[in-house]
Amino acid sequence: MFNYLIRRLFTSILVLFGISMLVFSVIHLVPGDVTMAILGRQKVTEEKVAELREQLGLNDPLYVQYGRYLGNALRGDLGKSIRTNQSVSESIAEQLPSTFALAMSALVVALSIGAILGLLAALRHGTWVDTLVMGLSVSGLSIPTFWMGLLLILFFSVKLKLFPSISNGSSFADLFLPALTLGLPEAAVVARMVRASMLDVLNKEYIITARAKGLGERMVILKHAMRNALIPVVTFVGLQMAYLLGGATIVETMFARQGIGRLAVQSIFNRDYPMVQGVVLVTAAIYVLINTLTDITYGFLNPKIRLK
Amino acid sequence: MTSNLTPSISRSNAPGIRLLRQILRNRSAQFGGILLILLVFASYAAPLFTDKDPNKTAPSVALQPPSLEYPMGTDNIGRDNFTRFLYGGRLSLRVGLAGITIGALIGITLGLTSGYFGGWVDAIISWFTDVLMAFPDILLALAIIAILGPGITNAMLAIGFAFVPSFMRLTRSSVLSLREMTYIEAAKALGSSDARILVKHILPNSIRTLLVLITLGIGSSILAGAALNFLGLGAEPPTAEWGAMLNAGMKFVRQAWWLTFFPGLGIFLAVLSINLIGDAVSDAVAGTTILSEKK
Repeated sequence: MFNYLIRRLFTSILVLFGISMLVFSVIHLVPGDVTMAILGRQKVTEEKVAELREQLGLNDPLYVQYGRYLGNALRGDLGKSIRTNQSVSESIAEQLPSTFALAMSALVVALSIGAILGLLAALRHGTWVDTLVMGLSVSGLSIPTFWMGLLLILFFSVKLKLFPSISNGSSFADLFLPALTLGLPEAAVVARMVRASMLDVLNKEYIITARAKGLGERMVILKHAMRNALIPVVTFVGLQMAYLLGGATIVETMFARQGIGRLAVQSIFNRDYPMVQGVVLVTAAIYVLINTLTDITYGFLNPKIRLK
Repeated sequence: MTSNLTPSISRSNAPGIRLLRQILRNRSAQFGGILLILLVFASYAAPLFTDKDPNKTAPSVALQPPSLEYPMGTDNIGRDNFTRFLYGGRLSLRVGLAGITIGALIGITLGLTSGYFGGWVDAIISWFTDVLMAFPDILLALAIIAILGPGITNAMLAIGFAFVPSFMRLTRSSVLSLREMTYIEAAKALGSSDARILVKHILPNSIRTLLVLITLGIGSSILAGAALNFLGLGAEPPTAEWGAMLNAGMKFVRQAWWLTFFPGLGIFLAVLSINLIGDAVSDAVAGTTILSEKK
């Protein structure tokens, strides 16, 4: 186990290292002179360009710049916004809780609805219930997040006037529509997984044994089948967080919610490179962290993985 | 292979044709296929269905609800929504197709190289894909847009790059399992060059697995393209494109539901049709129906 842990952590560190290099190079990959891209059509004086180059540290050799970027990032300093002069780390720290609340509530939606539908489909395998759930699921996979959001807004907010279409807080009413928008397409994925996993488990010998022992159907399903069927789904949560963090970009923009997704999109429009770099770096780092933890937990649970 | 029931078909084509037959027999693939043909036909033969100009404004008929004259209503500057819907489909479908093509070309090339040559080439390419994989979903596309700047061509490139890791990984693992096969060793012994072995022997045998990723990927790619356009990072006004139309219609969601409903329906139906076909392809190829990826 110890070896596995070390090996897994080492891979993650290598990946984080690569992420930092990629994020660092964003500003250098901009076609043409990055200062021109930032200053745009403003009347540009020589001093202004020189000042900006100095501020971004573009005058040093590349390896010095990268070393400085990495060193600062490790100390939590991601530079300053070119537009507002605010600290990038502080801006991200301000926006992160809102995105986190959204992702978490969407995860609850995805797992609960997905698990119920998946179980129903598996238990009624081959009936119209199964067909309906699978139909809903393939529709859920094909529906664009933003259109789903719009349909929810049209129904709940414009027609029924139940929930706000612009929502910034973390109360139930504020989170209801954004969480459904983000969570429902993911519920489609969960439902498919639960169904497949449950069907697989129901054919296992220990289920036949349990039935042969004369256990009630409810007991067989709840105590033996469901528990085992849900394991692969739980390990899938890490991957889902990635989808939810990415999808938050669209949902936040659509509901005019605070959050790092919206911050990223606005910073791209503002050509605020340090801010874009910061958001991308932090999101990717969170994702790597979640994945590493998932893998390690899985390694604890399943010895086969460790030996690979 | 040696079936004598179909003597007219040349043997090298037989597996491909059998696969195609199996896909065509699938009920949901039939439905998806017809839907897709209708959508493609409607958008590319747009002038047959409408004589209006997608960009012609007519302020006097702004925000009209759907009627016989304007089947999908009009927008805030009086453009015909139906005409824009038809023409917009062209761009949305093209973004999806271009994205997946770029992703597949780069990803498959990297995967072939990485899997076949192994060693440090493999180590570097694999590390690079691991890094790309660490960017959730749309974030990689956003980072690329941040570099290149917004625009429709850049959106296609961004989506393409975002697909590189999945294609690279799948190709690589397929090459790794094929590399040790006897017929590859035989080809080597006969003096075939690496390039010839890769293109003539390994690629054709990887195609079946890649086919699933390609079909389902077109759907994901259309979704991703529409998302970038919806965020305002793709097509610039007044270009008609489904995602961009949705974005513009958001401002009038209370007065004019038709401006957001129809473009979204277009994206949904396009992706649905492709996912239905993709499911049948994966059924035919592997005998499973699990859509492994959602973008």
